[in-house]
Amino acid sequence: MTGWARLRLGLVVVSILVVQLDVLDGLGIGHAHPDAMLLVAVAGGLVGGRQRGAVVGFVAGLASDAFLTTPFGLSALAFALVGFGVGAARASLIRPAWWITPATGMLASAVGVGIYALLGATVGQGQMLGDRLALVVGVVSVANGVLAPLVVPLVGWALGPGPPAGRAPGQLTTSVRFAAGSQRAGR
Amino acid sequence: MALSGRSTRPRYTLLLLVLASVTIITLDYRASGAVTAVKTRAQDVLAPVQSAVSGALRPVGSFFEGAVSYGSLQAENARLRAENARLLGPSLRASAEERQAQQLLAQANLPFAPSIAKVEAEVVGPGSSNFEDTVDIGKGTSAGVRVGNPVVTGSGLVGRVVAASTDRSTVLLVNDPSSHIGVRFGPDGDLGIVNGEGTGQPLGVDIVPLAAHLTKAEVMATSGVDQSVYPGGIPVGKVASNKAPAGALQRQVTLDPVADLGQLDLVSVLQWLPSQGASPR
Repeated sequence: MTGWARLRLGLVVVSILVVQLDVLDGLGIGHAHPDAMLLVAVAGGLVGGRQRGAVVGFVAGLASDAFLTTPFGLSALAFALVGFGVGAARASLIRPAWWITPATGMLASAVGVGIYALLGATVGQGQMLGDRLALVVGVVSVANGVLAPLVVPLVGWALGPGPPAGRAPGQLTTSVRFAAGSQRAGR
Repeated sequence: MALSGRSTRPRYTLLLLVLASVTIITLDYRASGAVTAVKTRAQDVLAPVQSAVSGALRPVGSFFEGAVSYGSLQAENARLRAENARLLGPSLRASAEERQAQQLLAQANLPFAPSIAKVEAEVVGPGSSNFEDTVDIGKGTSAGVRVGNPVVTGSGLVGRVVAASTDRSTVLLVNDPSSHIGVRFGPDGDLGIVNGEGTGQPLGVDIVPLAAHLTKAEVMATSGVDQSVYPGGIPVGKVASNKAPAGALQRQVTLDPVADLGQLDLVSVLQWLPSQGASPR
């Protein structure tokens, strides 16, 4: 990742963090709200592949942890795993379609919340596996599915050209083109 | 060979990140000052940006908030209309500013903890966690707020400060499942433990003896026993249900919190720390 890409990524992470803290935290449905920082990790894996997905997830998680009272580093660990996992799953994509971005945002966010809660319970936050988990999974996955078409291109822009996605490298040569291709396919 | 190197590199990167995360979590659990300093610094750096952006984005947030909570707003509207029809007195049409002033007045003359200094603070938003019942208040260490300080309204206990940066703090509410509060009740001053059961749920009470004398709506207050995390005598909740099932070893008691945790506006932070020991009752 170049210096400019790091700068762009920092700018995108901070901007989305501010929107999360000032807007999305207040949009609670039954006291659960969207998690755009988790979506940044998903987007990192989707447009950047395994390695960059893990790094983006770690950075987004650390930024998120600074504003949470749960153990510092918990989100970084969970989001790094999510970014890596989405990057690995991306390798099995054959061709882009308009629904891949929102569907990945939704599914990966649901899995991400589950991983976060499981890791939280492992480090002593047993309440994370309580009754509220199903509600949080539902709200975060649906909201992140809706937000994904906005966040994925932003992260794609931040990361710049990346490894080819899918099994047909000739069709998709950059992460930005992957994100854009997903959008175009829907029109 | 080169291909093999490329394919294993992401795994090494992930392993490195996992190790880094586990190290940070361990440091945080050991109450490392460095981790706390990093968190506080990050919150301080972003605070001015948050304040600037908050004003600009508030209409957007309000629009979506209104859309999201349309159903509950309708129900709230109907309830308020019924309330308004019942109580036509002009005193109840007080403006938001008047209500705030009344709250401030009530908090300035707290009927409990009279000898403890306090800091008034405005609730600036819900907490960021999806898994904890917290609120953020607009006062931090610069105003004398410290981690561990109890937070109250004129009615009673709200929770305690669990994180504090220069100008903001996070308060863990009494209804959070990780909240446990020692209380006293009844004519004999029996001791019990009040546990949070989550948003919208009544508080549970543990170790209430079968022989305990409890009346409906009796108020349970913090015990203030040695090493308690709260000073004594702060109202926590009113008895909502009280049963003694056959074969049970203790009474099954639930409480309604005395503070309206869903409508927090202004709160008082008591400048008291657990290390100060039990306060006089």
